Amino acid sequence: MADVAQAVPAGTHGEHESTGIEHRKLGMWVFLSSEFLFFGAFITTYLLFASRPGMARPYPAEVYDIPFTSVSSFVLLMSSLTMVLAHNAIERNDQSGTRTWLLATAMLGSVFIGGQVFEFTAFVTEYGMKLTTSPAASAFFVLTGFHGLHVLVGVLMLFSLYGMSRRMGGLSPKQHMNVELVGLYWHFVDIIWIVIFTVVYLLSKPPL
Amino acid sequence: MASDTTHAAHPTPLLYVKIAVLLAILTGIEVALFYLEDAVGPLVVPFLIVLAFLKFVIVIGYYMHLRYEKPFLSRFFSAGFVLAILVYAVVLGTFGVLAIRAAT
Repeated sequence: MADVAQAVPAGTHGEHESTGIEHRKLGMWVFLSSEFLFFGAFITTYLLFASRPGMARPYPAEVYDIPFTSVSSFVLLMSSLTMVLAHNAIERNDQSGTRTWLLATAMLGSVFIGGQVFEFTAFVTEYGMKLTTSPAASAFFVLTGFHGLHVLVGVLMLFSLYGMSRRMGGLSPKQHMNVELVGLYWHFVDIIWIVIFTVVYLLSKPPL
Repeated sequence: MASDTTHAAHPTPLLYVKIAVLLAILTGIEVALFYLEDAVGPLVVPFLIVLAFLKFVIVIGYYMHLRYEKPFLSRFFSAGFVLAILVYAVVLGTFGVLAIRAAT
């Protein structure tokens, strides 16, 4: 089986502007590009405080459950696969396949959020690390909390697309772009987690 | 400027699955390196950063289809990323210097 499918007619995606890229798609890329600065600010704040001595314990790196977070990361990575399969299905006008993969992505995203709620609860109840414990704890909760909020927004958009498709018996060619836009957003949330998982969970160390 | 009539060819589901397997393997290597830090030594940091960057580029290139899009989009998206890296490198550097001065 060839690894590259046939070229996709652009006319199925809606209007193009002078850049040759559909308006909404360009807008989504602009938004996502700006999100690097949004998350960069929180990651930088975390890095500034994560190993600074003299703060109240526990430091975030002292309470991480790496095996658990690794499984969460795997779940989010696999949700990117199901999302891209949903996009592939809608390009082939496979409405049933699109619904299946959209639902699978939303479910995987929900599992990830559930994992994050479990993790936060364990940090607070078992280790006493709260939002106000220290600047390091605040930076950790705000960064990962905002990421979780992005995942939640993505899950809501996925369920909306799924619901629309169910109600109308499929997404119209004009709505195909909505799947692509939600997909771009979802993959972006995934790549931000790739950075968070490495920088925040695997690389940060508490002070000696 | 006239708009293009076709997008570049997109990968097939099989290639997407292969990429997912590769991403899972890279994540497994990351976690293994975390536990083998004592054996690997200080090289574990650059290794982990390179692996994360690889995953980052693979997802953007294949799942977000950036390698099949117009170069304009790649440049635009990269500009946001590079700007963020530069701005926050300056912030980290500045606060790092201030912390060293405060300690001495």
